[in-house]
Amino acid sequence: MARRRYEAPIRKTSTFGLNITSLTDMFTMLLVFLLQSYSTSEVQIEPPKDLRLPTSISESNPVDAVQLTLTKSELRLDKSIIARLNSESFNKTDLEEHDSSFIKPLFTTLNEMSKDPNSKPFIKEGKVLLHADAALPYATIRKVMYTASMAGFPQLKFVTVVGD
Amino acid sequence: MGRTRKKIHINHNSEFDLDLAPLLAVMVKLVPVLLVSSAFVQLMTIETQLPQIVQEALKEQDKNPLQPQVVAEMDRKSGFVLHYLEKGSEIKTTTVANNPDGSFNLNSVKSQLLEFKKSHPEIFKLELKPSENVSYQEIVRIIDVARTVKDQGKPFALVNSKTGQKEATDLMYPEVVFANVFEK
Repeated sequence: MARRRYEAPIRKTSTFGLNITSLTDMFTMLLVFLLQSYSTSEVQIEPPKDLRLPTSISESNPVDAVQLTLTKSELRLDKSIIARLNSESFNKTDLEEHDSSFIKPLFTTLNEMSKDPNSKPFIKEGKVLLHADAALPYATIRKVMYTASMAGFPQLKFVTVVGD
Repeated sequence: MGRTRKKIHINHNSEFDLDLAPLLAVMVKLVPVLLVSSAFVQLMTIETQLPQIVQEALKEQDKNPLQPQVVAEMDRKSGFVLHYLEKGSEIKTTTVANNPDGSFNLNSVKSQLLEFKKSHPEIFKLELKPSENVSYQEIVRIIDVARTVKDQGKPFALVNSKTGQKEATDLMYPEVVFANVFEK
């Protein structure tokens, strides 16, 4: 007669306590880090991926303004492309024939914005936030500054990244 | 014979489990919210928010064009050239040669600017004339050097015209003007 094999009793209602102390520790650290890096600035800026901003020790938060982005390949106003760049300088077709510092499409767009009677206060005050690539030469940036001033936007602020 | 009183047994080594589940539930909700809205790269702007005494000095400088002026030229070959002008005519020129790698010698530029600032503490405006080949990052570095001297306390003192008292500041040349934007 064969012996019957022993079967361990299965408790169907069994529960077990999960130790979540270490998980809570991890979340506490993550929360502190995120709260520390949380930006308190009134204006949120999203720099494009192909842009490397210059580093500065300046501690002024950005303000509401017309946002101009100057990368190595294009000039954008907010998110629309205004002009293209070829080897870090503007195409001749975008520049005025008798004034090589004058960017025609930029002037036209800014001029239309400033003449709009329902424009926002920062447009009336002529405020511009310039996000320009750190490697660009002054010759290219000067053209944007020159044209913006001519279009009634003389209050230019440079956007920089915190660092030495 | 009296009954012996029953002693209450106190366990001094007793432990209890703190219920961390609600705390964890809050964190699980809070962490994604912060992850989505956090700015991991802090962006700042270079602008001129100046103390009243500095603003008054700048207004005074604008009224009187014959006051001393500091004009700085930046070039990758000739270096950083400082021109000091009084009553419209040049009185001194200082050249700071670039480093062997072609970058600007920021320490020497700072010491030259400090030297002139100490002799003319009422001047807060620097007219900058970068050459076309100077990079934007180099211009920002020079602006940083010229604006403040944070590592030396507040070395510049000015007399407040309203109170008659001396006020110290760490601002050197906070108003940097690009003087050659309109030059052809």
